[in-house]
Parts: sequence; C-alpha cells; structure tokens
Amino acid sequence: MNTSILSIITFLPLAGALLLIFINKDKENLLRNIALILTLVTFVISLSLYFNFDDQNPDPQFVEKSSWIGYGIDYHLGIDGISLLLVLLTTFLMPIAILASWKYIGKRVKEYLIFMLLLETGIIGVFVSLNLFLFYVFWEITLIPMYFLIGIWGGKRRIYATIKFVLFTMFGSLLMLVAMFFLYSMYYKATGVYSFNIFDMYKLVLNPSIQIWLFLAFALAFAIKVPMFPLHTWLPDAHVEAPTAGSVILAAVLLKMGAYGFLRFAMPLFPDALTKCLPYLGVLALIGIIYGGLMALIQKDVKSLVAYSSVSHMGLIMLAIFALNMEGIQGGVYQMLNHGLSTGALFLCVGILYERAHTRLIKDFGGVSKQMPVFAAFFLICMLSSVGLPGLNGFVGEILCLFGIFKANNLLAILGVTTVILAAAYLLWMFQRVMHGPITNDRVNNFKDLNKREIAYLLPIIIMMFWMGIYPQPFLRKMDASINKLVNQINQKKTFFTEAQKENKLLWDIKTLENATEHHQEKEEAVQ
Amino acid sequence: MNSLNALFPLLTLIVGALLVILLEVSVKRENKTYLAYISIIFLMICGFFCVQSWGKDFSYFNNHLYLDNFALFFSFVLIIATILVILISMKYLSLQNMNIGEYYALLLLALSGMLIMVSSSDLIVIFLGLEILSMSSYTLAGLKRGDQKSSEAALKYFLLGSFASAFLVYGLALLYGVSNSTSIAAIIKHFQAESSLSFMAYAGLGLVIVGFGFKIAVVPFHMWTPDVYQGAPTPITAFFSIGPKAVGFAVLVRLLYPFWRVAFNSEIIFSLLWIISALTMIIGNLIALRQTNIKRMLAYSSIAHAGYLMVAILSQDTSSLLFYFVVYLFMNIGAFAAVIALGKENKEYTELEDYAGIGFKYPWIGATFTVFLFSLAGFPPTGGFLAKFYVFSAAVREGLLSLVVIGVLASLVSVYYYLRVIVYMYMREPTHEVDINLENPAIFLVLFLCLYGVLQLGIFPGNVLLIIKQAVSSIAFL
Repeated sequence: MNTSILSIITFLPLAGALLLIFINKDKENLLRNIALILTLVTFVISLSLYFNFDDQNPDPQFVEKSSWIGYGIDYHLGIDGISLLLVLLTTFLMPIAILASWKYIGKRVKEYLIFMLLLETGIIGVFVSLNLFLFYVFWEITLIPMYFLIGIWGGKRRIYATIKFVLFTMFGSLLMLVAMFFLYSMYYKATGVYSFNIFDMYKLVLNPSIQIWLFLAFALAFAIKVPMFPLHTWLPDAHVEAPTAGSVILAAVLLKMGAYGFLRFAMPLFPDALTKCLPYLGVLALIGIIYGGLMALIQKDVKSLVAYSSVSHMGLIMLAIFALNMEGIQGGVYQMLNHGLSTGALFLCVGILYERAHTRLIKDFGGVSKQMPVFAAFFLICMLSSVGLPGLNGFVGEILCLFGIFKANNLLAILGVTTVILAAAYLLWMFQRVMHGPITNDRVNNFKDLNKREIAYLLPIIIMMFWMGIYPQPFLRKMDASINKLVNQINQKKTFFTEAQKENKLLWDIKTLENATEHHQEKEEAVQ
Repeated sequence: MNSLNALFPLLTLIVGALLVILLEVSVKRENKTYLAYISIIFLMICGFFCVQSWGKDFSYFNNHLYLDNFALFFSFVLIIATILVILISMKYLSLQNMNIGEYYALLLLALSGMLIMVSSSDLIVIFLGLEILSMSSYTLAGLKRGDQKSSEAALKYFLLGSFASAFLVYGLALLYGVSNSTSIAAIIKHFQAESSLSFMAYAGLGLVIVGFGFKIAVVPFHMWTPDVYQGAPTPITAFFSIGPKAVGFAVLVRLLYPFWRVAFNSEIIFSLLWIISALTMIIGNLIALRQTNIKRMLAYSSIAHAGYLMVAILSQDTSSLLFYFVVYLFMNIGAFAAVIALGKENKEYTELEDYAGIGFKYPWIGATFTVFLFSLAGFPPTGGFLAKFYVFSAAVREGLLSLVVIGVLASLVSVYYYLRVIVYMYMREPTHEVDINLENPAIFLVLFLCLYGVLQLGIFPGNVLLIIKQAVSSIAFL
C-alpha cells in the first residue's frame, strides 16, 4: 500500500472521472457529492505523504518505478520536499474548488466535474513525475480539461481566451519537447543507453553553446506558464473568462507548474546557460513585478485586478528563485504556497460577489460590508494575506524571498520590494471601493451574507493562512534538505563549468562530470 | 517454397470480389448489406492468411513478390482499414441512395492492388498493383452518381492520377535504361557499382518520387487531394486517406531505404525530400486553417500528416513510420466515422457550422470525435502524441533539428484548426437544427474500436512496437 501511494493519489481522481461518466447527468447533486468525496479522500490520503515524509532525506521519496513503454520511458514517480508541498496544495484546494462551484455551475454539471477531476490527475502527475516523458505527458494533459473549463463554462470572450491559453502554452511546450528529444539523443550518444530519467539527465554535461539553446527552450515553456513578462498576456484573458473554480486552480496551482519546472528541470539541467541568462531573467521578473502591480492599479474589473496581481506576485517568486541561494529558493517555494492560498481565496471572494451581483466591475459595488459583515471579514483577511501583513502567511514568504534577493543583488531587491507597496495600494484601494462607502447600487441592498457552504470552503483557507503565518516551521523544514541539495547541485555544476572553461576541456563525456564532482567533494572534505 | 500458399491472401480477395459482383448481378435484393458481410468474411480470411505467413519470408514468382514481415504488416494494416471502411459504409450507402453492390467488390480489388504493391520488389509489378488500385479508386470516387461533386472528384482524380502514372512509368523507363533491370535490388546493385550517378539515373529516380508523391499527396503534388476528398463519398475519403498513402510510403521505404546505406552521394535526393517534407507540413497545415468544410479540412490535415511521415523517411527510422501509420489509421478512420455518423437520408453534415452544439446533443459521437481530434493534433495520452514523438525524436537523433522545429511549429498551427472543431462542438450554440439518423450500430462499433486503438497505442503500445520491430528487421535488401 505504502509503495504505490503516489499512484493512488494521482489516479484516484481519474478513476472518479470515469465513474462519473456512467452516472445519469440529471442527478446533479449525486454527481457533486461523489466528486467532493473523491477529492476529499484524495486529500486525506495525500496527508499521509506529509506524515511519512523523511525531512532529512533530500532525495525523492515514495519512489515508484516500473518499465512502461521502453526506450527509457519509464513510469517513475517520487516526491521530494518541493513537490510534496505542491501536491498537498493541489489536493487541499481541489475539494474547495468543487464546493465553490456547487451553485455557480448550473448547466452541464457532469462534464464540469469530470474535467475538474481530470485536471487534478494532470496536475498531481506533473509534480510527481521523475521521468521527462511522463512529465511532459501530464504537463500537456492539464491543458485539455482547462481548455474545456474555460471554453464551456467561461464568460463572453471565453473562446478567444481558451484558444489563446492553449496556443501560448503549446508553443512553449512543443519547443521544450524538441529540447527533450535533443537531451535524449545526447544521452544516448554519450552512454549508449536510452533514458528519460531526470537523474540521468542531471549527470549529462553539455557543451555551453548547446546548453544555451536547450535552456531557452525549457525556460520559454516554463516562463509562459508562470507567466513571466512579456509572455503573460494570456493570463488576464484566461482568468477573467474562466469560471471561479477554474480561476482558483489556474492561479493557485497551474502557474506553480511553471516555477516548479524551473526548479526541477531548467535550472539544474543547464547551470551554465542559467548563469548566462540570469541577469536577463532577473530583469524580466522585476518588470513583471512592477508592470503587474501598475496594471492591477488601473483595472476596473475585480477579477482582472486579481489576475494582474498574480503576474506581480509570480514575478517576485521567480526573482527569489533566481537568487539561487537557500533563502531565495525556500522563500520562493513558500511564497508559491502562499500565493496559491491567498490568490485562490481572492478569486473565491470575487466569485462570491459575482454570484450575487452578476457583475465584477468595481464601480457597481460599494458598501457591501454593511450587507455582508461575515464576508467582509473573510475578504479582508484574504486580502491582507496577499498584501503580506505580518502574522499572515504572505509575510513569511515575502520576507524570505527578499532576504534571498538581497543576498544576491541589492538593486534588484530594492526594486523588488515595490511589490509589497504596490500590492497594498491596489488591494486596499479595491477593498475600499468595493466594501466600504455608501451603497450606490440598489442591488447591493439585496445581497445575502455567506451561507454555510461558502463559509465551509473559505474557513480552511483562512486557518491555513494564520497557521502558515504564525508557525511556518512544519512547512519550511520539509523542504530544507531538498532545496539545500538543489542549491549545491547548481553551484557545483557551475564551478565545474567555470573551471573547465578555463582549462578548455571538452565537455561531452558523462564521466568527466562524475570525476569532477568526486574531485570537488574530496576538495571540500579536505578543506573541512 | 509452395508459392500457392503464399498467394492465398491475394487469391482470397479476388475470389471475394468476383463473388460479390456475381451475387450483385444474380440476386435481386434491395438491401445490399449482405454483400458487406460477405466482403468482411473474405477480408478476415485474408487477414488470417497474412497472420499465418508471419515470420516465414515467402518469396515467389522469381522473387517478383515477397511476403516478408514488412509486407505482411502493411497488408494487415490495410485489411483492418478496409474492414473499418466497410463497416462505416453499410448504413451510409443506403442513406445516401448508393445501393450499389460493386462498391464492395471495388474496395476488395483496390485492396488487392495495394497488397501487390507492398509485397513486391519489382518496379513493374509495383506499377501493375498501382494501376489496379488506381482504376478501382477512380470508380469509387465517382460512385455517388447523383452528386456533381462526386463526378468532379472522379474526373479530377482520374486525370491527375494518370499524369502521375505517366511520370512513374517514364521514371521506370529511365531507371531501366540505366541499370537494365526493373528489380529494385538490381537497380541498387548497379548504383553501388557506379562511382557517380548519371543524369539519367537521377532523373529516373526523381520521376519515380514525383509519381509516388502524387499518391501520398505531398506538396507540391497535393492539388487533387482537397477536391477529391471533399467530393468522394465520405467512407471512400477515409479509405483514400489511408490506403494509397500507406502503400506509397511502403514503396518509398523499399526504394529509398537501401539508398541511404550505399556509398553514392544521395545529397540531391535527400535535400529534395527535405524540402518536400517541410513544405508539406507548412502548407498543409496553413491552408487547413481556412477550411470551413470538415472533409476539406481533414484532407489538408492528411496532407500535413504526409509531411510528418516524410520526416520519418528522412530520418531513416522505419519503425516510427510504421507506428505512425497504425495510429493514423485509427485516428483518421475514427474522425471520418464521426463525420459519417452525422448524417441522415440524403443529407450529410460536413460544414463546420453544422457541428455547433453537437458535443452535448450526441455525447458519444462528440466525445469520441474529440479524442480523435486531440490525437490528430498530437496531445498525450493519445496515440497521435506517441506517433509524433517517435518520428520527431528519431529525426533529432539523426540531426534533422531544423526540420523538427518546423514540424512542431506546423503542428502547433494544426492545434488551432483541430481545436476549432471542438470549439464548435462544445462551446457554440447551434444555429440550426441538426437531426441525424442514429440507428447505426456499425458506426458506433467503429468509433469505439478506433477509440480503443488510439488510447491503447497512446498508453500501452508495447506489443505493437514489438511487432513493428519484427517487421522492420525483415526488410529484405542488401
């Protein structure tokens, strides 16, 4: 049982989707209940991952490996400290997303739930795959349900938004696929063995002139997904048109796949190219922070405001990750979780407003807190969490990120801090206009406060926000070992490359690196 | 070797075709479906003989016909394709007022021509097979006699097909002039002996490639495809999109496969094929973007797929080519089956507008069609993804990086037009009433068989890969 737990978590939602196919589409409540129970069960099982996870071990755990198609394509799963928390975030948010769409999705409930469950399988699969091929398969699979979720249940411009979303993502990932083929054939030429195993790929030492192209191909795919400026244009469209739960999952988890891709693939695979591109990437991330914040300030639609705030926040996360030190990456990963919770919650709040008013324009609201005091409290906490108020989760993450960035580059860090100021500006201003002031719109008078279901799905997120803000240790300690290893791995390869370039060595052979790493370790031990 | 044994598959088909024609003439029955069943039985017997000869490497008639695993593999794929095509035709024929018994006989004859082509290594015999195939094809394209478009398709196909045959024969004549033989093995031996090739040899080879280029519909020899595909009866279109392509590529493999390994400089041929492949992928996909008729769109998509298959030819990776074919068979016939399923008496729905809202009105047709479109676009976990994956990864291994980049970008374009059909099916409100005849169990059987094929090949392709390995290792040259 324990050995195949990752498979169970990954494929339980898929099994649920298959089950739903055979249930009459008119029994909507039955369908919803089944989907909810399945996602809850998935979440409970995934909790056991957390409790059985060994903090000290930096390597992937719960590993499952069996041969699948051959030619290096294996079924190879495992999670380390980074992916563990992202998997938990996914399984945690999925039941909430299903609850949030209980009433909002009134037509074609069956198909909707099937796509939600498929989406969960795809996302978890992305985080647990240790084989490049498998990773790519899951990566693409997440596109299909999202395509339908936006396209069928979205707003007026849904078709434009969903096609843009698919084409943008596909463009990046297809070039990444070519880069994967290249890695695959390089590995075959170097060793005579076919492999897509990510750990085998780490060993591969590539000529810097080739590395740069491969890195660009991988980075493009992930940067589109994150999204980094200037590849972000699909995001506001997709968010504004998507149904509430779709936006929640998109912002909270799908964007994290991009950042995760950088951490797992693009950065450790091509350290030399990474070093060369780092200044440009850092500047792009910074532009994202400021541009996203400024755009958020001028939005008239609450939902697109939150969408642009995502661009800004993800920029900070990427900047922290590019700091390439322990604090930065840890802060980045922690902030990914925070962003998942707070932005997810903000989208839920926007959804709650929309269900009552059928509009999302800021000017149509005002004075809502008088009618909905409970909601006002929830909304306030979610917003403050996103702003980064001490005591809430956002603060811890942002502080860690900024520590990391300061260590790497002062100028970038000083400019990066603007994210906090901008976030405070656009969110507080929005909150003021929507929740406070006189009631200008008659419809607001008829607003009803939160019902039990709505409280039920907001409350767990609020609890987590406080917990992660006040006592972050249980989360941070889980990722220590893995991030430490990642940082070491990148730095080790970097020094290897600089040394090798000095000596004009030919960088093709795998053995060179293995020798070099041993050599390096011996040196370090000798120093100690 | 007992050559009669080896002839059984062909003989079965011809006996079947003649029997169908005899019955058609002598039995006066309004309903012609019994002929379909008879044809399927004969096809199954033929398939059985193919399986029987697996691994035995029969050769007969002075080595003019080979039954190696490669030939058997293609034969078997084609037999399956024909069975599926007959299944999707049964109801279609009575709905579209095409109750003609010869239909099935012509299909069997066309198949026999294809079997001859894939199992021969002599260019003259290949040409004979091609003519048998072509004659039946021209007739099949025009069988919807009341429809002007169908007659137009037949005429266009006939004229351009004859041109192609003429090119081919001219090329054969030149090659014969150079090497004194029509057997592929002898021609190659001659090429090996010469240090450099004469202009005549190049011209001959080039003309042969042009001739087959028409059959597999690669740019710039693709002009006939859209009109013929749109005009021909839909099941026949499905047949055209698989059959002639498959045999064309099989012959190209037999012809070109040994060339890479011989010492002479084949750069001219190589760059010629490179350009053809790139153009086919780009132009096929770009023009498909603008189509509003599903059959026409699928025609251009099949041109684009020929481009991907050319990549496999260029990277000399025959096993990825064969795998692509098997997947292509299921996804393309599946897609056409879904198009045929949306029809009623004397009416076919082939405009994109007709598909609005179909996904929710007819959930099974919509869902299976969606899977086939995703597979054609190359999304995992369908077979279409794995097929492209093998072709492109082999090409990268052989250093064709720029061609692969063109290929993946072209397939990005294809994502747009495949998804557009899905947009219509699921995301647009219907503009007019679409009402179809659902009493068609055979279509649903085909839809589910193809669905199974596409998913099985996408997720657990192990066994098929094993068979392909055996087929490739048997190609009997040099």
